[in-house]
Amino acid sequence: MKTRTQNARDLFLFLAFFSFTFSISIGQTQIAFSPQWFPQAQFAGYYVALDQGFYKELGLEVKIVHPSGTVSAFDNLNNGKVDVISSFLMDGIKQRASGRPLVHVGQFSQHSALMMVTKKTSGIDQAKKLNGKTLGLWSFGFQDIPRAFIHKYGYDLQIVPILNTVNLFLLNGVDALTVMYYNEYDQLINSGLNEDELNTFFFSDYGLDIPEDGLYCLENTYETKKEALKKFVQATLKGWDYAAKNKDYTIELVVREMDKAHLPNNKTHQRWMLNKVLELIEPGKKQVKKGQLSKQDFQSALEILKSDQTTNYPNPNILMEDFSK
Amino acid sequence: MKRNSLSYKIIQRVLISCVALGFIIFAIQYAYTRYLVENTTRENAQLLAENAVNEIEKVIRPVELIPENLAWMMESNVISGEFIYSFLEKIVKNNPSIYASAIAFEPGMSSKGSYYFAPYAYRDGQKVCTTQLGSSDYDYFIMDWYQIPATLRIPYWSEPYFDTGGADALLSTYSVPFFLNRNGHRVFGGIITIDISLDWLTKIMHSVKIFKTGYAFLISRTGSFVTHPNREYIMNQSIFTIAKEDNIPELREIGRTMIQGKNGFKSVTTQVGEKNWIYYSFLPSTKWSLGVVFPHNEMYADIRQLTVLILFLSALGLGLLVFFTVRIINKQIMPLAKFAHSARIIAEGNFEVELPKVESGVEMKELHDSFEFMQKELAEYVIHLKETTSAKEKIESELRIAKEIQMGMIPHIFPPFPNLPEVDLYASLESAREVGGDLYDFFLLDEDLLCFAIGDVSGKGIPASLFMAVTRTLLRSVANKATNTAQITASINKTLNISNESNMFVTLFVGILNTKTGELRFCNAGHNPPILIKNGKEADFFGLTKSIPVGLFDDFAFTEEHLQLGRHDQIFLYTDGLTEAEDIENKLYGNDRLLDVVRNHADYLPKKLIEEVHNDVKVHVNGHLQSDDLTMLSIICLRNE
Repeated sequence: MKTRTQNARDLFLFLAFFSFTFSISIGQTQIAFSPQWFPQAQFAGYYVALDQGFYKELGLEVKIVHPSGTVSAFDNLNNGKVDVISSFLMDGIKQRASGRPLVHVGQFSQHSALMMVTKKTSGIDQAKKLNGKTLGLWSFGFQDIPRAFIHKYGYDLQIVPILNTVNLFLLNGVDALTVMYYNEYDQLINSGLNEDELNTFFFSDYGLDIPEDGLYCLENTYETKKEALKKFVQATLKGWDYAAKNKDYTIELVVREMDKAHLPNNKTHQRWMLNKVLELIEPGKKQVKKGQLSKQDFQSALEILKSDQTTNYPNPNILMEDFSK
Repeated sequence: MKRNSLSYKIIQRVLISCVALGFIIFAIQYAYTRYLVENTTRENAQLLAENAVNEIEKVIRPVELIPENLAWMMESNVISGEFIYSFLEKIVKNNPSIYASAIAFEPGMSSKGSYYFAPYAYRDGQKVCTTQLGSSDYDYFIMDWYQIPATLRIPYWSEPYFDTGGADALLSTYSVPFFLNRNGHRVFGGIITIDISLDWLTKIMHSVKIFKTGYAFLISRTGSFVTHPNREYIMNQSIFTIAKEDNIPELREIGRTMIQGKNGFKSVTTQVGEKNWIYYSFLPSTKWSLGVVFPHNEMYADIRQLTVLILFLSALGLGLLVFFTVRIINKQIMPLAKFAHSARIIAEGNFEVELPKVESGVEMKELHDSFEFMQKELAEYVIHLKETTSAKEKIESELRIAKEIQMGMIPHIFPPFPNLPEVDLYASLESAREVGGDLYDFFLLDEDLLCFAIGDVSGKGIPASLFMAVTRTLLRSVANKATNTAQITASINKTLNISNESNMFVTLFVGILNTKTGELRFCNAGHNPPILIKNGKEADFFGLTKSIPVGLFDDFAFTEEHLQLGRHDQIFLYTDGLTEAEDIENKLYGNDRLLDVVRNHADYLPKKLIEEVHNDVKVHVNGHLQSDDLTMLSIICLRNE
C-alpha cells in the first residue's frame, strides 16, 4: 500500500543519510562502502571491523552507506557516493558484461546459499517433481541461479514473482519458493514451519555452487586506492574472524545497527544468519584462500551468464585477470 | 516428662495420630482446592480470551463488510471510472476506524485499460486525500496485500505493519478480491482494500488482566506478535523466535497450534523453571490468535495463603491439643505415680502404707483394689514365708548335723594304719546332697586281715543315709563273727530284710585282704566291678560275677571269690556315682574313661590315684550339677615278697 511505500521511503531516506561519520585524520585513506542490503548479520564482518578499529589500524577511514529502496549499492557506486560495494558474483559479472568498468577486489562468500523449499505436504520431494509447478522467485534480483537451474534441467516451472516475504508460500499460494538459507529459510522456521516439514533443494547440490557476496569497485577507484582496498579486504576478513569468535557481541552489534535503521529485528534470526554466513566464508573443499575468488567459480559464473538466452550482454567475454584484482 | 513415661508415650501416639490424620485431611483439601482453582482459572482465562475475541470480532466484522459490499458493488458495476476516487474518499471519511482504502485493478481491467490502476484514498491529518498507487516503482501486483488474495481468491488480512507515513500507528490491511462482468463472463477484476489502525485492538488486549501479572497477547498467522505488553516484541519477534531464543520447545508447539486455528490451555516452563499457563483462542476473521498468559505461581497464590493460614491454625491447634492432653493425661495418671511410690514402700516391707485415694475412673479403682488385695496377700505371704523359712532352716541345720554324724561313721583319717606298712589305702565320699546313701569302711579283723567294704544304697537323701548307717553298723557288727565275706554279706542281707517295708536295698562289695600273704577274699553283692592294677602297670575290672544287692531277698546265697594280690598290686573300688557322672549333655563318664584314667596313672598310690580320677570326673561334668554320691576306695599291697 502507499502508506507502506511512504514508510519505506522515509526509512530508506533515513538510511541514505544514515552513515558512520568520523573525524578525518591526516594520513588516513577514506573508503566509503555500501553493502547490497539493509543492516543485518550478512554484513557483520564490516560492522565488527569498524567497531573494533581494524580499518583504522590499517590507516583507513571507513564509512558504511547502506542502500535504500530506490538507490541500490550499484547506484551509489556509479554516482561516486561510495568507493566499494558488496554484491553477488553473478551481479558483478553481469555489470562487467554490460560494459561497466567494474572490478572485483575481494570475495567473502565462497558458496551459494540459494535454495528452493517445498512443503512435504505438496509431495514435491525430488527436483523433477517441480515440473508444472509454481515457483516463487524474487522480482528484484538473485534470479540467475534459479533460472540457470531451470534451464540446465529443462524443467517447466511457472515463475511467480514475489517481493520479499514468505507469506504467499506459507499460505500455499506457490508450490515452491526460492530462499536464502541464511535468511528466508529461517523466516519460514520462525513462522511456525518445522524443518522436518520442508523439502530443501540447495542449488549448490545441482552443480550451481556459485559464490555470492564479493567486493567491487570501479576501475579508476581501483587504480587510485589499490593499497587501501587491499587493506579494506584484509581488515574485513579480520572482522569476520573476530565475529566468528565473538558471536554474542557481534549479534548485539548487528541488532544495534538494525535498531538505528529502525528495522524489525530479533536476535534469533540474526544469530542464524551470522552462523550460516560464517559457513559460507569458509572455502571448504574449494582450492582458494579466504577472501579470494577461485578461477573455477568465476568460469562457472561466466558460463551461466553466457547461457542466459534472455539477455544480450555487449561484453560477455570477460577475462578473470581483467575482472578480479 | 521422661521420654519413656506412660504420659509421654500416650501424648506421642495421640499427636502422631492427630498429625497423620490432619495431614491426610490437609492433602485431600489441598488437592481438591488446587483442582477447583485450576478449573476456575481455566474457565476465567477462557472467558477473558473469548470476551476479548468477541470484542475484536465486533469491531472487525462491520469493517470487513465495507470492502465486501464494495466488491459486490464493483461486480454490479455500480461504481466505475473517476467516481471511484470520490467513493473511496467518502468511505474513509465516514468510517473513523478506516485509515485508507484502495481499489487495485488487474492489468487492463480498469475502464482506463492501463497496466496499473489503483485509486487510493487515505487520511493525511484531518484531510482525506486521493491518489493512484500503481506504477513501475510501485508494482502492487507482487505485494502481499494484493498478490495473496489475488492468488488464493479469498479475503486476506495482511500481517500488521507499523505506519510512519501518516497514521503513525500499527495498521493491517484487509483485502477482498472483486470480480467484473466482461462479455457475460465473471472475471477477476482486482483487490479492494481497507487499512485499519490496530490501536483499539491494543486497548482491548491491555484491558485483559488476570491475577497480578497475567496478560494477553495477539499473534498474526505467521506467529508475529501483534500486541504484547513488551512493546519490543511487536513486529520484531514471533512466538517461534521467543521459543528458540529462550529454548522453550513447548512454546513453539503452542505457537503452531495457535496459528493452526485451535483453542487450548497449556503450560510452559522457562529455562529458569518459571511455569506459565496459556489459554489461547483463534480469531476467525483475521486468522490471528489470542493468548492469555498467567504465571503458575500466581494461580496458586490464594491457595498458598490459605495453606499458610491452615498450617498456622493447625500448629496452634496442635499446641493447644498438646497442652490439654498433657494436663488431662497427667491428671488421670497421677495416681499411678503415687501407686508406684506406694509399691516401692511395700517392696521395702511396709505393708501397712496408706494407698493413694482414687476419686474417679473405674480402672484406677480396680488398680486401687488390686493394690489393697496385694497388700493383704503380701502381708499374709510374708508371715507364712517366715514360718516356712524358719522350718527350712531348722531342717537344714539338722541335715548338716546328720551329715556330720554320717561322715563321722566312716573312717576319714589317712593313712589309717601307720603301723601296717604292708598296705596303704585311701578313700573319699562326696555326697550329692547334705546326706547320701554311699558308704565305705575298712578296719582290721586281726593283725593281718583287713576288712573293707564299699556300698551304694538305693535312693538318695535321708532314707538312703539311714539305710547306709544301718548297713555300716551291721558290717562292723557281723564282720568279726563271720569267717568269710559271703557270710558277712548274707548276715547283713538277712538283718536288713527284717522290717524292710520301704524295700530299700544296697549294692555292696565286701573284701578281706590278708596283708601278709596278699590273698583277697571278696563278695560282690550287685556292686560295680572294682579295678585291679597289677604291679602299677596293667589295670582291668575284676569281680565281674555280681550277686544281687543286699536287702532284696533274705535267704539269698552269696558266694565268696578269691584273688591273689602281688606286691604293688592295687584294687580300686567305686560307686556308680563315678561312672554315671553326667556332663551338661547328659553324657555319662563311663567305665571306659574310668579304666583309661586308671591305666594312665596305674603307678600312682591310692590317694593320688583317687585325686586324679576325681579331677578327671570334674573335667567331664564341667560344672554340671552332681546328681549322685561319688565314692572311691583304693588299696595297695606294699608287702615284701
